[in-house]
Amino acid sequence: MSVPAAPGAGDGARPSPLLTRTRHALARATEVYRGTEAGERLVELAQRLDEPLRVAIAGRIKAGKSTLLNALVGEQLAPTDAGECTRIVTWYRDGHTYRVTARLPDGDSRQLKFQREDKAIEIDLGGLTPEQVSELEVTWPSQALRTATLIDTPGIGSLSEQVARRTWDLLAAEDEETPADAVLYLMRHLHAADMDFLRAFHDTEVSQPNPVNAIGVLSRADEIGVCRLDAMASARRIANRMATDPNVRRVVQTVVPVAGLLAETAATLTETEVAQLRKVAALPVREADSLLLSADRFLNLMPELGLTSLERESLLQRFGLFGVRLASTLLRREVASTATELAAQLTERSGIGELREVLRSLFFQRREVLKSRSALLALDALTRTQPRPGSDAVAAEVEEIISSAHPFRELRVLSALRAGWVTGKPEVLADLERLIGGSGSDLHQRLELPPDADRAALTAAASEALARWQRRAQNPMTSHELSVAAQVAVRSCEGMLAELVNHR
Amino acid sequence: MMAPQRPAAGATVNAATVVDLGIQACEAYDRPDLATRLKVAKRRLADPVVHVVVVGEFKQGKSSLVNAVVGGTICPVDDDVATALPTYVRHGPEPTAALIYDEDPPRREPIAVEDVRKWVVEHSPLVDPAQRPSGVEVRVPRKLLSAGLVLVDTPGVGGLGSAHAAASLAAAAMADALIFVTDTAQELTRSEVQFLRQAGELCDTAVCVLTKTDLYPYWRKIRDLDVGHLRREGIDIPVIPVSSALRSRAIATNDTALNAESGYPELVKFLTERVSGGVSGRLASEAAAEVAAVCTQLEAQFEAERAAQADPASARQVVDHLSEVKQRVEALKAAAARWNVTLNDGIADLNADVDHDLRRRIRTVTQEADQAIEETDPADTWSEMTSWLESRVAHELLANYTFLKDRATLLSEEVAEHFREASGEVLDHIAVPNPTPMLAKAQVDHKIELAKMKIGKQAMVALKSAYGGAIMFVMLGAMTGITLGPIGLGIGLVMGRKGLRDEKKRQRTARQNQAKNAVRRYCDEVSFVMGKHSRDTLRRIQRQLRDHYTALAEELNRSNAEALQSATEALRRTQAEREQRIRDLDAELTRLRTLRKQAMAVAR
Repeated sequence: MSVPAAPGAGDGARPSPLLTRTRHALARATEVYRGTEAGERLVELAQRLDEPLRVAIAGRIKAGKSTLLNALVGEQLAPTDAGECTRIVTWYRDGHTYRVTARLPDGDSRQLKFQREDKAIEIDLGGLTPEQVSELEVTWPSQALRTATLIDTPGIGSLSEQVARRTWDLLAAEDEETPADAVLYLMRHLHAADMDFLRAFHDTEVSQPNPVNAIGVLSRADEIGVCRLDAMASARRIANRMATDPNVRRVVQTVVPVAGLLAETAATLTETEVAQLRKVAALPVREADSLLLSADRFLNLMPELGLTSLERESLLQRFGLFGVRLASTLLRREVASTATELAAQLTERSGIGELREVLRSLFFQRREVLKSRSALLALDALTRTQPRPGSDAVAAEVEEIISSAHPFRELRVLSALRAGWVTGKPEVLADLERLIGGSGSDLHQRLELPPDADRAALTAAASEALARWQRRAQNPMTSHELSVAAQVAVRSCEGMLAELVNHR
Repeated sequence: MMAPQRPAAGATVNAATVVDLGIQACEAYDRPDLATRLKVAKRRLADPVVHVVVVGEFKQGKSSLVNAVVGGTICPVDDDVATALPTYVRHGPEPTAALIYDEDPPRREPIAVEDVRKWVVEHSPLVDPAQRPSGVEVRVPRKLLSAGLVLVDTPGVGGLGSAHAAASLAAAAMADALIFVTDTAQELTRSEVQFLRQAGELCDTAVCVLTKTDLYPYWRKIRDLDVGHLRREGIDIPVIPVSSALRSRAIATNDTALNAESGYPELVKFLTERVSGGVSGRLASEAAAEVAAVCTQLEAQFEAERAAQADPASARQVVDHLSEVKQRVEALKAAAARWNVTLNDGIADLNADVDHDLRRRIRTVTQEADQAIEETDPADTWSEMTSWLESRVAHELLANYTFLKDRATLLSEEVAEHFREASGEVLDHIAVPNPTPMLAKAQVDHKIELAKMKIGKQAMVALKSAYGGAIMFVMLGAMTGITLGPIGLGIGLVMGRKGLRDEKKRQRTARQNQAKNAVRRYCDEVSFVMGKHSRDTLRRIQRQLRDHYTALAEELNRSNAEALQSATEALRRTQAEREQRIRDLDAELTRLRTLRKQAMAVAR
């Protein structure tokens, strides 16, 4: 990446001032709480700052959480099923060895046996019932897990109260650190329950209801358009509308449509499957239409096709009706002919690429802010609930960081904007939101320039923005809220210019 | 009173026959008042209205289901926007559409069929909240609907405990049957199961339809899971899996095999046999019961005359009796009649009780809201709070409305009971002088049973006309939203450490007060609207019951007057004339008794 990261975003090699300050506060707290129960937790918190960002995948039952996790990792790891499947919160981390560990409610952990033949991992709970296990941890050497630890969660709205409770405990834990730094929230259509959940996930201390750590995913996007070939276009339209809905903007940064099953299958497509699909593609259009009218018909009609019922069943399971329709059409029209080409086509159409890009610019670019935020929140909670001699100073330091660190100010203005508390002309507000990183932390995103813009163009745009917002901050006609926000924007512009100079 | 499988259609024909015979008899005996009563029954029999409400979470394929049942694109279907207004799909000679406004009587404004979409879908710019229609009515020439079936497509439930869920429940309570729609993408959720349990208590005939079986290869597994969930919860309703896509294709290509594959024939069978059949069976029973009641009155009149003719010595006694009865019947019409007093007092009590119940409920909600506001910052939780408040209030309104319904039914029964006591006495008195009681014991039992069957019905008629099934949707839509007004900017964006905490606290308190006031305003508005609605409904019930029983008293009066006149005339007749008249009367009585037996057979 030739373009330097924005202020506060950090790029790993050179720790950001925010991360340094957070470490300092943690170190001070470790001193204060040495020898107490909390001491151990503080060590974990400090370690957490060096670990990959923790992203939880949450949503109502059957929203396709495990499928999306597999698609993001690019392997079939998490088991998926037609009925409710994930009943235990499961962490997927990168590591040197393949290992599955069960964490028990009493704090103990136990290593479990597992096996994996060409499909998802089958874990043997070794005599434990799902109720007796509080969390599972799967360590798996994987490039994708190196950037983020993924957490698969049981669905909200499950008929089993306890199963749903676990997800709440994980993401909306009260009075404790939230184990996840950010959340991908899967929804098939926005329900009231989804909104409740998202609001509960957001803390109220660092910033008001805050969309900064959540991205909405319109999942099973192919099914929204009832598996028509243009289903993804329809889903994209819906996602765009949802992303501009003020109620949705308050709780998630943006909404991306993803056909998870398609993405998962594309990542693991085999030549055998392509050969099978070619048989369907070879049919005249009319006959293929009639065969693919329903899943049952695909399973049972046209025995002369040369596909066994087991093969057909497995195709449906892997692709879904939409996937079979789309893949056979692509093969017929010769848009793709090999497994590699077909996989590329399906990946592109599944929307997973767009999601990866959004994840990168909204989560991974900001990972240090998000991680610091988690750590500071935990510290704040600790000092409030377990005061000790010296914890006052820790609380003061935490509050000092939270109220003064520029990335947090940006987040606060961003959430105030999203909540509709800052008023002004729509184009001015849109400009403001972009400048403080509302649509991504890269400089070109903040300055609304193409990704390949050169340094001169970036510098010119940043200087212009600086002048513009200085004027707005000083204009007596500007409302109080907007002028406060404008000062933050000015500081963002200065930061950007400084970055551009430093990298010269 | 659920007719089993086939006989429903037969029952309607039989009932129509006895009603026609009854009307002929009334006209022959010069009793236009009784004939009018039977004509009303006949009209109802010929044009039954059977409301079937289609409910479910949004985007489950409710509109597609309605379209697939009737065959054609009537309800708009879209990937994104959902149905926002209830749509009534009923039979008509040619396709027409109209907007329905909730006025008394409901006002209909014709619109072009193509425009239905504009009005029904969400975010419709045409709908000014102040003058929102309460629904859209679409009439289409379809054989399936010609039996009086009205399919009501409703907005989606929208999550557990939402305001819409309460509205759907209210609609279900007034409906003749309920179709619950859920797709086979996933098993039933907790909120769906909970909704079904509540709806099952409010509506007798329900079916759970699983849609989109074409898309999901594992729909059979989902069906089995759903059946398991329902069984575990003790909800005993049929589950029918369907595919609207296959049905549409089947209709377009006239493909019978594909139609069978779509699963719709089973749903249509359920609608025609269980729902339509059930309702027409009930209507047939009610019509036949009317005939039986009319026969009883006519018989009593003739029996009195026959007693006078048969035994001139006792004729004087009969006349005395009848004169006495006349006073009683007149008393029945008077304002001081016990049934009338019961009705007036009952409505007054009911008004007070319903109002008190509403106030109590709203007060509890306000207190809970205050408490919740105390504990949180409205800036964070206000939108949660509003949806909580809306749904909480909607459920309390539903409970209040159910209370009204139950109490009104009870009152209607009480009035019926008092009227029956008084009038039954009248009828018995006429029969007393007869040395050989004509009514067999078994028939007397039947008479009581029939009377029981009609008890409470009057109140329901009034309620149904008042609420029309989906009125709660309108109530919720019409009420002004809960607005907090502009709130202070959350926190000082760049304030120092000390100031941040203090300022936050101060603003928080201000917001809390603002929120409490907003809640009060909303609750006031709700009480006002709902209070007016209940009073209107009760007034309608009162009018309905009063008119019904006044007409009945009038009929009895007429029967009695005729009997009295005939008995008085009997005194002046010669022996020969009397014998002739007795033969005539016996013949008439035999005819009436046969008719009544026929009517009873249908009513059973």
